[in-house]
Amino acid sequence: MNRWATGLWVGFLFSIPLWMTDQYYLHILIVAGIFIIAAMSLNLLLGYTGQLSLGHVAFFGIGGYTSALVSLGFDLELTDSYTFVFPAQPVWIAFLAGIVVAGFFGWLIGKISFKVRGAYFVIVTISFAEVVRLVALNWIDLTEGPMALNNIPPFTLGVPGLWELTFWRKIPNYYLVLVTCILSYVVIARLVGSRLGRAMIALRENEPLAASVGVDVTRSLVLAAVVSAAIAGAAGGLYTHYIRIIDPDVFLFIYTVTMVIMVVTGGKGTLAGPIVGGLIFGILPEALREVASPEMQWVIYGVLMILIVYFLPDGIVPAVSSWWKERFDAPPKTGEERA
Amino acid sequence: MSAAPRSREVVLDIDRLTIGFGGLVALANVSFDVYEGEIASLIGPNGAGKTTAFNAITGFLSVSGDSIRYRGKRLNGLRPNQIADLGVVRTFQKTSVFAANTVTDNIMIGLHRHAGARLWEILLARPRVRDEESRLRAQAGEILEMMGLSAHAEELGGALPYGEQRLLEVAVALAAKPTLLLLDEPVSGMNPSETARFMAMLGRIRAGGITILLVEHDMRMVMGVSDRVIVLNQGAIIAEGAPEEIQRNPEVIRAYLGHGADKRRASKREAGRA
Repeated sequence: MNRWATGLWVGFLFSIPLWMTDQYYLHILIVAGIFIIAAMSLNLLLGYTGQLSLGHVAFFGIGGYTSALVSLGFDLELTDSYTFVFPAQPVWIAFLAGIVVAGFFGWLIGKISFKVRGAYFVIVTISFAEVVRLVALNWIDLTEGPMALNNIPPFTLGVPGLWELTFWRKIPNYYLVLVTCILSYVVIARLVGSRLGRAMIALRENEPLAASVGVDVTRSLVLAAVVSAAIAGAAGGLYTHYIRIIDPDVFLFIYTVTMVIMVVTGGKGTLAGPIVGGLIFGILPEALREVASPEMQWVIYGVLMILIVYFLPDGIVPAVSSWWKERFDAPPKTGEERA
Repeated sequence: MSAAPRSREVVLDIDRLTIGFGGLVALANVSFDVYEGEIASLIGPNGAGKTTAFNAITGFLSVSGDSIRYRGKRLNGLRPNQIADLGVVRTFQKTSVFAANTVTDNIMIGLHRHAGARLWEILLARPRVRDEESRLRAQAGEILEMMGLSAHAEELGGALPYGEQRLLEVAVALAAKPTLLLLDEPVSGMNPSETARFMAMLGRIRAGGITILLVEHDMRMVMGVSDRVIVLNQGAIIAEGAPEEIQRNPEVIRAYLGHGADKRRASKREAGRA
C-alpha cells in the first residue's frame, strides 16, 4: 500500500463514528479492533519468527487482569499479621502496568523456550496459558476466581483532581482502540522492517544459517516474544476497561484459536494480514447473527474459513498483492511483500 | 610430512579434537592448523569426519575441553553466533539460503552483525536507522556485484538456479565479514565452467584478506586452489601437505584416490581376504 492509500484508509476509519450512529455497530468494531490488535501481536511471533504460540491469549488475559487489579487496587494477606495493600491507581497507569507485566511474561516464555521450536514451542505456550488460567481461577484472594473482577473503571486519561477524561461512551472507546491499533501497527512495521525484524525472519526461514552469520536467534525470539506479549497485554487492557468485567474465561483456548484464524486467513508474515483477517472474522459472527440461525452461523464461519485456507493457502493479503502485481504490471515492491 | 608453514601465523588451532557419537568415533585426536591468509582444504572419503569437524569448529556441535582455538580464543562451548562474532563463518553442505527472502535481503541478513541500530532507535524511527539501512543496502549491492549476482538482486533466494544459489550462500557468509571462511562442498553440483568461475572467486576472496578452509570432493578444484591439503580418513589425519605431495602420497591414494589399476587389484585382494 502506498502512502495515499494508507492515508485514505486511516481517514476512513477515523470517520466511521461520524456517520455510523448505531452504537451496536460501533461496539462490534471496538471488539473487532481489540482482537485485531491481539492478532497483530500474534502475527509477530507466528508470521515473522515462525513460532506458533497457541497460548497467546495468556498475554491478553495477563494484561487485562493486571490492568483491572491495578486500577481497582487489591490487598493480599501475606502473613497473619501483614497484609499488603495496593491502592487503586489511575487507569492509564494500570493500562501501562498491564503492558509491562504481559511483556515480562513474554520475556519469560522466550527465555524458557530458547531451545524449543515447532511443536515443542506450541506445547510450552499452551501449558503456560493453562497454568495462568488455573491461577486466575483459583487465586481467589487476588482475582475473585470465577466470581470475576467487576466494576472495573473505564479508561481515563489525565491526573485525578486536575483534569481527567473518562471513556464512558462508545465513540471515545472506538478512537482509543483505533489509536492503539495504529500504534501497534507502527511498532510492528518498524520492527519487522529493521535489522531486528530481519533477524526474526531469518530465524523463521533458516535457523542454522542465521546463527552461522552471527544472528543471536535466542535473542531475536525473546525480543519478538516480549513485544508480542506486550501488545497482546495492551489489547487485554483495552478489553478489560471496555467490557469492565474480567473472569478466567478470558483465557479460553477458543480466543487463541480466533487470533490464529485471523492471522492465517489474512496472511501470516504480512503487516496487513491480521487486519484483514481480523475484520472478516471479527465482524462476520455479528453480521451473521442477523441473517442466520445460531447453528448456521458457525457452519458458515467454518466453511468460509476452510474455503480461504483451501484456495488461498498463504492468506488473503499475499494472494491479493500477487494478483495486483500481475494485473498492474509489477509496481515497485513494498516492504510488506518482501517480508 | 608437515607442510612448511612459511613462517606464517596460525589462526585456527585444532588440538587433539575427539568427537564420538555413541560408540562411533567420528574424529579421534585430530590436530591440524590453518595459517593466516591461506586456502587450506580438508579432504577425505565420505564419512571421514570433515563435516563433523566443521560443525565442531563453528559451534553447531558442542565439544567440551579446549581443543579448538581461533586466534588464541577458545571456541569450545561457544554458540554459532558467538563464533561468527569472532570472525569464523561457514557455509553448509546442503544448499542453504533464506529461500523466501530476496537476494538482497539474504545479504542484508548476512550483514546483521554489522548493524547497530537499537530497539528504541528503530521504534522511534531515528534518522540514524535509515542511514544505517541505506549503508547496509549499498554494502549488499557491492557484495552482489563482486559475486556476480547483481542481476538477481530482487529475485527470491529460493527461486535462483542452483549454481547461483550456491554463490548466494557464499555471498551471505561473506556479508558477515569473516576472517576465516569455512566452505562445505561449495562447488558440488556445479558444472565445470561454474566451478572454474568459483575458483577464480576464491582467489579474490583470499586476496581480500580472508583465510579459507575448504571441504570439497572435486579434486581438480582442491588441487587447483589449495595451498595446503589435509587428508582425513576414518576420523584421523593421514596426510598433510602441499597438493603435489598429497597427490603422490601412497597412503592418500590408497584411502581416497585409489584409481590405479594395481591399487584396485590390491584392494580387491584385500576385500577378498576380509
